[in-house]
Amino acid sequence: MDFFLSYIILAEIYALLALSTNLLVGVTGIFSVSQAAVFGVGAYTCSILTTTADVPFGLAILAAAAVCVVVNVLVALPSLRVSGDYFVVTSFGIQFLCTAIFENWVGITGGSSGLTGIPAPEVFGFHTEEPTHFVLMSSAALAIACVCFHLALHSPFGRLLAAIRQDELAVAAAGQNVLRGKVNAAALAGAFNGVAGGLYGAFLSFIDPYSFDMQGSILLVSMVVVGGVRTMAGSIVGPLFLIGLPQLLAFIDIPSSVAGPVRQLTYGVLLVVFMMFRPGGLVGRRL
Amino acid sequence: MLFLRLLIDGIVNGCVLGTIALSFTLIYSTTRLFHVAHAGVFTLGAYLVWTFLGLGLPGPVAVVLGALCCMALGAATQQFLYTPLIERRASPLVVMIASLGLLAIIENAIAAIYTPNILLFPPWWGKDIVQLGSVPITYAQLLSLAMGLLAYVFLMGLARFTLLGKRIRAVASNAFLAEIRQLDPKRVTIWVYAIGSLLVCLPSSLIAAEFGLRPYSGLLYLLDASIAMIASGLGSFTGAFFLSILLAVLQNLSLMVLPGQWSIGVTFFLFVFLMLFRPYGLFAHAR
Repeated sequence: MDFFLSYIILAEIYALLALSTNLLVGVTGIFSVSQAAVFGVGAYTCSILTTTADVPFGLAILAAAAVCVVVNVLVALPSLRVSGDYFVVTSFGIQFLCTAIFENWVGITGGSSGLTGIPAPEVFGFHTEEPTHFVLMSSAALAIACVCFHLALHSPFGRLLAAIRQDELAVAAAGQNVLRGKVNAAALAGAFNGVAGGLYGAFLSFIDPYSFDMQGSILLVSMVVVGGVRTMAGSIVGPLFLIGLPQLLAFIDIPSSVAGPVRQLTYGVLLVVFMMFRPGGLVGRRL
Repeated sequence: MLFLRLLIDGIVNGCVLGTIALSFTLIYSTTRLFHVAHAGVFTLGAYLVWTFLGLGLPGPVAVVLGALCCMALGAATQQFLYTPLIERRASPLVVMIASLGLLAIIENAIAAIYTPNILLFPPWWGKDIVQLGSVPITYAQLLSLAMGLLAYVFLMGLARFTLLGKRIRAVASNAFLAEIRQLDPKRVTIWVYAIGSLLVCLPSSLIAAEFGLRPYSGLLYLLDASIAMIASGLGSFTGAFFLSILLAVLQNLSLMVLPGQWSIGVTFFLFVFLMLFRPYGLFAHAR
């Protein structure tokens, strides 16, 4: 039962991340491969605040969300001003820079051995060390994020983002502010990532740089692509499927040293196959 | 002395980086597609050369064979992945995600077949040292210099004096018109990918000889190369090549004040700086 619950909790945390990636990649059409890095910034911020500074979890997770919003907006602003391809370079850059910071700023992040002993939060008197309690908290967070995502998608703001994806020039010609739309999307995505990061650290009570590297970003893009873009269901189906996939792969007898690369290889194959044959994903719309 | 040493290292590294930047500029300026999988082709090149050397082949033969394999992979990527997608009117985002998937496939296949750990690459060009005044220069460095200059002269000559080069320039400036004039942009584009992929095999081996073979490092070099390309205003071979050298010199000189693991930070800082003040490149006029 605990095994199943922890699968659900992880899938819910990744669903939060998939929603944010979906918002950027699927809805707005910005190719971002630094989502795992921003997720990492959230995880480290929240974990450091709760372990070394004894900040209550609620405050720490809000701080993590705020930091992620600032990071996403600050780095996105200059490149989004120019053109889409510049943002590709920026997002690769953020990804590598954040990995370098997580690995090398040993005094704060614990270097490549990571941070251990992150306390499980106590929320409204509930001790969330129990997966049964934690799942309530992560479900609540996902539910709130889903409501935000739904409202954002069906508001004028969401229509603006969809229009930006289809034709930037037309949006600008219609008197809308393209840059502001993109930056707001990046900010909202950052907030989701920050919350997901805080939950991730608190649930596993351990984080290291390797959960937030380039491969992690590829995983997030795969989740969105497999689940399907521009729908909420897609961002929930994708993580459920891809978090479960390693358990399925465990049935195949492969040596443990190549298990990691083989898992990542599967994500790559899924990306290519879905782009070739079903760019909308399982339950998504046309990308 | 340290300054001179770092300066020379910078110029040499710049020639290696410049060759990668040239190949990427060739591809990007013709197709306007951010070919992320190029990093995979780059990584594969060194592993193939390593394999051929292991089979007992002499160094130059191994490099030629490796380069031909890279060439085939590049051409096949265009023929079997990008062309079908573009014919189906897939958005650039879809093509880019497919490219990212291909990168994940190549990198992880390498990690699964060889090993995810660092492998030592034996330098077949020997470890002899030439004294240039008071500064010792290794054969590898001489080879890098020669390779960079040759690649530059080759591409300039190709673009200026050959029929294929003229076709490439035609497709780059307007693919639609090129199609009307029966210049066969599809075949031209395949050649562009083939030549671009051919060029990255030797730089990849040179880098591997210095830092060892690593399956996941390709993107870092592609990032540096694309920053040089953007700084030159997209699409100028001369600009991309010499800015690569400048970038590598700056990275090397930064070692005087910062430890090596932060050089990605230096690069990214330069990129953001560029975005803020000269977003269309150092040499381009405002568009």
